Amino acid sequence: MSAHIGDDAALYALGALEPHEIAAVEAHASACAACSRLLAQAEADVAAMAAAQRQLTPPPELAERIFATPDAPTPLRRSVSRASWIGALAAAIALALVPTAYFYEQSVAMHDAMLADANAMARVASSPHRRVAFTGQNASVMYAPDGSWYVVVIRGAKHPMHVTWAHDGEQTMLGTAVPHGDVAMLYLPKSHRMDQLAIMSGGRVVGQAQLVF
Amino acid sequence: MQAPLDDEALATAFASKERWAFEEAYTRFGTLLYSTAYHVLGNAEDAQDCVHDAIARVWRSPDAYNRARGALRSFLTVCVRNEAITRLRAKARRTRLHERVAAEPQEHDEIAIVDVVEHDRLRAALNRLPIEQRQPLELAYFEQKTHVEIAAHLDVPLGTIKSRIALGLRKLGTALGGAR
Ligand SMILES: [Zn+2]
Repeated sequence: MSAHIGDDAALYALGALEPHEIAAVEAHASACAACSRLLAQAEADVAAMAAAQRQLTPPPELAERIFATPDAPTPLRRSVSRASWIGALAAAIALALVPTAYFYEQSVAMHDAMLADANAMARVASSPHRRVAFTGQNASVMYAPDGSWYVVVIRGAKHPMHVTWAHDGEQTMLGTAVPHGDVAMLYLPKSHRMDQLAIMSGGRVVGQAQLVF
Repeated sequence: MQAPLDDEALATAFASKERWAFEEAYTRFGTLLYSTAYHVLGNAEDAQDCVHDAIARVWRSPDAYNRARGALRSFLTVCVRNEAITRLRAKARRTRLHERVAAEPQEHDEIAIVDVVEHDRLRAALNRLPIEQRQPLELAYFEQKTHVEIAAHLDVPLGTIKSRIALGLRKLGTALGGAR
């Protein structure tokens, strides 16, 4: 293995290495636990310097660009094209939905969300469920009485919002509700009952729902 | 009300490429990342491009970040800062090429000038360092010079400069509470 990085950790974190020296530091640190820790410490120190300077609010369009970043193409993730199954399901689901009162409740924007999460809607339309509103947010959750699935619908959502399960003083992240039109929806197939859900934005709880089983 | 998810849980989820963690990381650290880029590049548009490109590259690369690399917040901050420095140097090269005279004036948005109060916190901490550590650290941090340039500028051997910068940085980090 190459020499330990030593003081170069600080230079790397400060951006003060010569360009041709950078790759060697990265390569060594990725294979050496001690140097990786050294680098982490130097990076924490530089971050502390950065945080001690005046903080500026980023323009909102930056968030939009960031959130639009596609995932790296890895075979493990949901690389199955959404379009393919949506197309197939959409017809069947439209039929399943028509007779239900649920369908008529939905706004036009909801229609987009339905297409995006077609199997969630099929679930809601075809099985008995309960519905509870969130406090603090124009949102509701529909869920199976046995806790086998949950659908969280957030209205007027401008950005993706995270949905968490609050239990034993902790928050477990369940997923992100992404807006289509101005409705954000998240379908959660589960095998257990979750009696307290929260909606989070910017690291804070902005809505809560108490479910009854 | 419940405590928000801690940075540890976020870092773990980010390392395993969970989509919500990518978005939450920006939500949580976006201000620091944008400010970091802004302070190096000096204008909003370049800062935006820099943050976007740096974060997107980390996210799309399969193993850029793992938990051994420490706190996600500092890892991303350094990624963004190093990206900003690379851009600044490229821009400087282009500027030299087109000759200084013909180059457009550096736009500094109004915000950069008001940058006093928090900046003072960093200044105050720097001022408590011995001068032989403070000087090279300032040249690296505020003027984005490399250690070779700093050694030449201060006329001090390379090895000595490196150890002074490393020592100064660690002291400063401790003074600013940079343990996290
Ligand atoms: Zn090592």
